[in-house]
Amino acid sequence: MSGTLNNIYNSVSYALYQQAKALAGLQEQVSTGSRINRVSDDPSATYQVLGLNTQDRSLGNYIDNVSEVASSLEISSMIIEGMISYFVEATSRLTQVTGGIYDDEARKRTAEEINQMLEQMVLLANTKNMNQYLFGGGSSGTAPYVVERTDGEITRVIYQGSQDDRNIEISPGMQSSIFYVGDDIFRSDNSGSAVFIGDTGAKAGTGTSNVKGDVWLTVIHDGSNYKISIDDGASYVTVPVGGDSNQAVTNSVTGEVLYVDTTEISGTGVELVRVPGTYDIFSALIGIRDILANKRELSSVQVEELLSNSFGSLDEIHNLLVQQSVSVGSKIGFLDDLKENLKGLKYNVEDETTRLEEADIAQLAIDISRREILYQMSLSVAAKLMSLSLLDFIE
Amino acid sequence: MTGFSIGISGLSAAQKALEVIGNNIANAATEGYHRQRIELSPAYFSQVGSVLVGGGVEVEGITRIIDNLLEREILHQGSLLEEVSQELTTLRSVESAFGELSTEGGGLNAALDRFFNALQDLSLHPGEAIWQNQVISAAEVLANQFRMLGDFLTRLESQIRLEAENAIEQVNTLVNQIATLNGEIERLEISGGQASNLRDKRDQYITELSGFIGVETVAREYGVVDVSAAGIGVVVGSSAMELEVGLDAGGNLGITVAGASSYITSVEGGSLGGLLSLKNELVCDIHEELDDLALAVIQKINQYHVQGVGSEGSFTELTGWTMASEDLSDFDPPITDGKIYIRVINTSTGEITRHAIDIDAASDTLTTVAAKIDALTGVAALVNSSTNQLSITVEDADYKFDFLPAVLPEPEPTPKTLTGTPPPGIAVSGIYTGTTNSTFTCTVTGVSGQIGVTDGLKLEISKDGTLIKELNVGLGYAAGDKLDLGDGLYISLSIASGETAGDLNVGDNFQIKGWADTDTSGVLAAVGLNTFFFGSSASDISVCSDIVASPGRLATALGGGMTDNANALRLCGLRDEALSSLDSLTPGEFYRRLVTNLGQEVSVKQMRQESIMAVVQSLSDQRSEISSVDINDEAANLLVFEQMFQAMAKYISTVQTSISTIMEML
Repeated sequence: MSGTLNNIYNSVSYALYQQAKALAGLQEQVSTGSRINRVSDDPSATYQVLGLNTQDRSLGNYIDNVSEVASSLEISSMIIEGMISYFVEATSRLTQVTGGIYDDEARKRTAEEINQMLEQMVLLANTKNMNQYLFGGGSSGTAPYVVERTDGEITRVIYQGSQDDRNIEISPGMQSSIFYVGDDIFRSDNSGSAVFIGDTGAKAGTGTSNVKGDVWLTVIHDGSNYKISIDDGASYVTVPVGGDSNQAVTNSVTGEVLYVDTTEISGTGVELVRVPGTYDIFSALIGIRDILANKRELSSVQVEELLSNSFGSLDEIHNLLVQQSVSVGSKIGFLDDLKENLKGLKYNVEDETTRLEEADIAQLAIDISRREILYQMSLSVAAKLMSLSLLDFIE
Repeated sequence: MTGFSIGISGLSAAQKALEVIGNNIANAATEGYHRQRIELSPAYFSQVGSVLVGGGVEVEGITRIIDNLLEREILHQGSLLEEVSQELTTLRSVESAFGELSTEGGGLNAALDRFFNALQDLSLHPGEAIWQNQVISAAEVLANQFRMLGDFLTRLESQIRLEAENAIEQVNTLVNQIATLNGEIERLEISGGQASNLRDKRDQYITELSGFIGVETVAREYGVVDVSAAGIGVVVGSSAMELEVGLDAGGNLGITVAGASSYITSVEGGSLGGLLSLKNELVCDIHEELDDLALAVIQKINQYHVQGVGSEGSFTELTGWTMASEDLSDFDPPITDGKIYIRVINTSTGEITRHAIDIDAASDTLTTVAAKIDALTGVAALVNSSTNQLSITVEDADYKFDFLPAVLPEPEPTPKTLTGTPPPGIAVSGIYTGTTNSTFTCTVTGVSGQIGVTDGLKLEISKDGTLIKELNVGLGYAAGDKLDLGDGLYISLSIASGETAGDLNVGDNFQIKGWADTDTSGVLAAVGLNTFFFGSSASDISVCSDIVASPGRLATALGGGMTDNANALRLCGLRDEALSSLDSLTPGEFYRRLVTNLGQEVSVKQMRQESIMAVVQSLSDQRSEISSVDINDEAANLLVFEQMFQAMAKYISTVQTSISTIMEML
């Protein structure tokens, strides 16, 4: 026996439940535009979507980081460019001075100009971006350079920033420095042999000196022995009779040591000792300014000789800054490329997420129509079946 | 008078049949009702000569149309459907609570991402309050999300137990009703009566019972049915045995005979089967995994955080958490034998001393640890006896302390052999990047002489006993220049102040320690000294109040300068660190696996529910075909027995007329 009232009712009820459930699911997909609205809709796709969402957020963060590093480097690059222009200007002034156009007064005015450049240089080296110093390495909260002054003039610029880079992650597994260590980029690190410019007879010793840039060597004679100093007479080393081929002379202020061959010292006076490959942007300007100002009251011949020799330090720093500028520029270029790559990757991630999540609206419309028809058919068939009864025919 | 007897038997049978039909039609919509059929047979006969003459009709009985095998299968499948439905409904609510893909914010997955991204942002600006606050906000959101889910699961587990208790009350009501009906059916049928309607009623109760718990039935004579649930005979004849719900020794929810203590924690079928499975396995597993994730994040972040310092620098005072026990051996997670390395800084002299505190996990207590710290110059430590909180303070304003792994600015005081006169000054710098604590031993080789002067003067560097490099410190080395030791560390040799040379002799040596972990015992993180997160599970995780009150305490630095971002990078790196406590998965991967497994479980349950529903539907159709009332069928029978009744009445009338005719003849 088949087709009992209960049988029909159960079948219809079950069919309607199935159709209504399917319709509700389809309508949810249409209203959200997404075929996955909860994890159970497609667990394996959800695992991918959640991972892609994480990757998307992470890439967004990396892109922001890269932008910030690039922005910081662009400002650093501008600053280095500014420094280069100051050194071009300083070289131009020095050329004019050594060309004989300028007299003593003009040299002093040039010294003041160089001093102004030095002040500007310190300000540039202490530039802040978004409240962080650009050239302090890992210590971006405090000014990386402090100055010592005598009579208002800068006599020494000391780096007090960090010796460690501020590295940040700019892409998975890749780190980049956002702030340069000023001591690394504004100082040459290609130490050569000390060059003695003077006529005292002092020469470079055999030891490896650690003095940087220009050092003024003072040679005096106390009646019995020569004495030499590299701290403007604050401390002296007595040269033994007959000299020493490797006499260590220490700067009592900085602790730096200059090894001097004193065997041929034959006169007293002050002479300049240059250590090529050890200048920094400040010491190069301080040295030239001091020569131009001639506070050590050197002869005109000596001054001209020293000024002629000063092109080397300017060129060294100019080349250093140009190298750094190129280096920063290429890093910015790399970061721009990286940023584009990350954006491309982010686009792909978003695209893949959309592919996994997005509902096929056209297919949904067809499915909904089909389900609606089936739903109506279920109702219609049920109504007809349930309306037929033998009771209607019993009188 | 046989004709009258035949007529009366026919009338009676037709009347009885009409009553059965009426009863069937009246119960056409009654749940659990089985169609009844009147059983007729020819009545006794008499022999007249060689002819057998019938004696009318006899009502043998009224039978229920029922297929017991089918009924039993429906009972089983219905019970399974209830179990799966219970599991599915609950798991769906868990899925909704997790809210992945369905909430705007993105749930815990997004909260984890935002926390680690905020740490990454902080690595760019480690000393700035705005970025420190951003990390704290992201951490609080993460902690809130964990707590919301943890609390939800805890409430859900309580709710499941309550539901199980309610269900067992209804089970007990039903078994009592079934037992009572068994008694009535038995009494009725022993006395020769028919108890079809009572049987239907009793069977309906059994069906209802199977909705709560899977049942097995055994039919006995006189219509009695014994019922067992989860292997317990809950109905035997007219006797009922009540059940109760409780937790076993392992904390698992189970059922047992009222008053007994041996719990059955795995029950098949019915909503109780679903509730037990949810409490003991499904929800419990999700809760455990969520707690594991929260604990791993808390422990790992704290393990890194305790060693660093924030923009506020070293500490003058630190106070740990309230601890349940003073004995280190009672701590959970367990403490291991190891050392705590504490740096004490004399701010007036700049002297930095690193002290090692030995930890014996088996015998040390907070008090003994405090005593060891208290013995150091510059710091004091004590334990609050009522709360077991360990506090470390400085002895006076000239001191600070921390647990930084920063390399000391000078080589270790011992062992150190520098026999040159004068020896050079040695400065150490950098941030150690190795992953384990290591010792770098520097030994003078080649020839004895002056640094920067003597050709062939060299330093041999070995790491943990293995030679790794040789460095020139003689001619060609400018005193003060940095020499790369490896793993981020540098040394520089200089001519000491007031001297003109720095001499080294072959065999001179000194050591530098690279610190990757300054708490190899895990005590600092366990007692809450300089921790970032508080708690041990998803339900109680929070950002430490000290950090919230002073964002500058967020430990971003590991270097001695305290301005670096090494710890921020290390904390952020946890995002991509596979943790052994998380099945060698990263926190994000572990969470995604957890939530996907949940979705998979829901999906499987949903499919199972649909499949069982289809089976139940099919079985119900079969039962309807056999046992349900078909109105048309009944109507047809109605016509048959109506006509039978009319015919029998006519027959009696004809017999009456025949007898009257004979009587008239007399």
